Amino acid sequence: MQNRHPLATLALYATAIATCVILLFPIYWMIVTALQPATNLRAYPPQFWPADPQWGVFRSILENHPFMRWFFNSMQIAIAVMIMSLTVSVLAAYALSRFRLRGGQALGLLILTSKMLPATLMIIPLFAIFRTTGLVGSLWSVVIAQATLIVPFCTWMLKGYFDTIPPELEHAALVDGCSPLGTIFRIVLPVAAPGLAATALYSFVVSWSDFLFGRTFLTTTEDNWTLQMGIAALKGEFVTEWNLIMAGSLMSSIPIIIVFLFLERFLVGGLSAGSEK
Amino acid sequence: MTDTSAPRKKVAGPARGFPMIDFSAPRHREKFGYLLLAPAVILMAAIIVYPILLSVDISMQDVRIARIGDAREPWTLKNYQWLFGSDEFWRGLWVSLKLVFVVGALSVIIGFATAMLVNQKFRGRTAIRLFVALPWAVPEVVATVIWAWMLDSSFGVVNWVLLKLGVISTPVLFFSNPTAAFAAVCFVMIWKGYPLMSIMLLAGLQSIPEEQYQAAAVDGAGPWQRFFYITVPNMLPVIGVTLVMTSLWVFRDFAIIYVLTQGGPIGSTTTLSILTFEQSFEFFRMGQGAAVGVITMILCAIVSRALVGRLAKSVH
Repeated sequence: MQNRHPLATLALYATAIATCVILLFPIYWMIVTALQPATNLRAYPPQFWPADPQWGVFRSILENHPFMRWFFNSMQIAIAVMIMSLTVSVLAAYALSRFRLRGGQALGLLILTSKMLPATLMIIPLFAIFRTTGLVGSLWSVVIAQATLIVPFCTWMLKGYFDTIPPELEHAALVDGCSPLGTIFRIVLPVAAPGLAATALYSFVVSWSDFLFGRTFLTTTEDNWTLQMGIAALKGEFVTEWNLIMAGSLMSSIPIIIVFLFLERFLVGGLSAGSEK
Repeated sequence: MTDTSAPRKKVAGPARGFPMIDFSAPRHREKFGYLLLAPAVILMAAIIVYPILLSVDISMQDVRIARIGDAREPWTLKNYQWLFGSDEFWRGLWVSLKLVFVVGALSVIIGFATAMLVNQKFRGRTAIRLFVALPWAVPEVVATVIWAWMLDSSFGVVNWVLLKLGVISTPVLFFSNPTAAFAAVCFVMIWKGYPLMSIMLLAGLQSIPEEQYQAAAVDGAGPWQRFFYITVPNMLPVIGVTLVMTSLWVFRDFAIIYVLTQGGPIGSTTTLSILTFEQSFEFFRMGQGAAVGVITMILCAIVSRALVGRLAKSVH
């Protein structure tokens, strides 16, 4: 690749940078808009650089809206979903990967199929169930609903990882007297750490981003809302105060973007595992 | 199972000296596997299989707000008769198909171009790879809100750029013009959907053996010939899988359309997903909503058959 013409290299860099600028402009615009003074938003031409950043916008959104409350609701849901789906899917994925069980193939197909269920259909029966069990308005309703989407996919991803780990290590551990469950936790999981990280990230991103389930099960009081519901409501509420909306959006995406930047390399392997086979 | 086997284990255990590794004995290995699967099976039966059956049941009853344990309505096909006789359903199906086609086609083009770009060897490509994948992590509601502001008819930056470039002479009213609203939904979906496409296509590109390119170069094939005779044929299966995945996502998506246009104006962005939600939770006709949902599920199942068939080969 060293023999590439300098002009070709230049063109390559220009294309790469142009692509990034165009594709990432919406994220840049969110940040710029959040920091603009409200009056500048109606400027013509639009201001592309916040000459006079207004940091107070973040305080104002925290003071005027139960933003922290929404943040903690989202965080609780995302963490609960992560713990629940990882626990269940680690065990199931290990079993599907290591044992030739009767019904294993059928379960694998069920897992794949359930990835394709329309969530808008699932909320109708789930709503009926939650109404009877009194879970409507409780964060658990969203956790359970999320699991319908996340557990199957996590199981699928983790099975892919376990398949790549040679079983000889476990056999050795078993011979040395390690219990079968201990083998999973002490031998397999440490080796599968990147896979676990990817699965955890996937689960966190999906449940943090949820809107439909919250919108359906948590509308009762504003205190129960998730961040995404709050932002969607701000859009309806303030037709013109885009700087506030963008500040809220920015604050709700920062945790997820940070997690993403650190764990992206693991995720890429995990998500593309299905397509390579 | 543990109840019955535990006492026996205790009897046999001390004699053998290893009471703990019972499950590793060949005849118990399978039982251990089933034990590990049990939580997932129970969970999936309770939160996936049972709700699906329940939704089919609801779709065949004339109910407004479904509740378990209420006096059952007799089974009827009324909701399906309404469905196939209503303009809303056929329009919803048409809008869904249009959206799947436009978003699928454009995001595969953008995703493929980005994947080809970041597959080149240059300094800093790891960073570029990370950046082009970033929109995947942005929550759908946030992405939608950003685009709603960018597409604003009075102060939106998109209208400003289009006016400056002379593409249009008056601002596009993205949220009151049916065609423009449809385009707005496409923009957001493509922006959210292309990163996953390019990640998966990149993985596909990297799995093409380098020898094929070298052999072609030796035979005197130019860059275009290499692209059409090596890259494209090798990539077709991956493109197929990513297209099906994107189609399913577009077909089922709710948040983007609901936050951006609420399905309007005049139903121009009401997909089957939006129609399901609208019927069930805005008009409170859950019977009809469930009927739309069941049909959507069947359509998704048909679309995904190809995908499931492909992936199922790697199940065992």
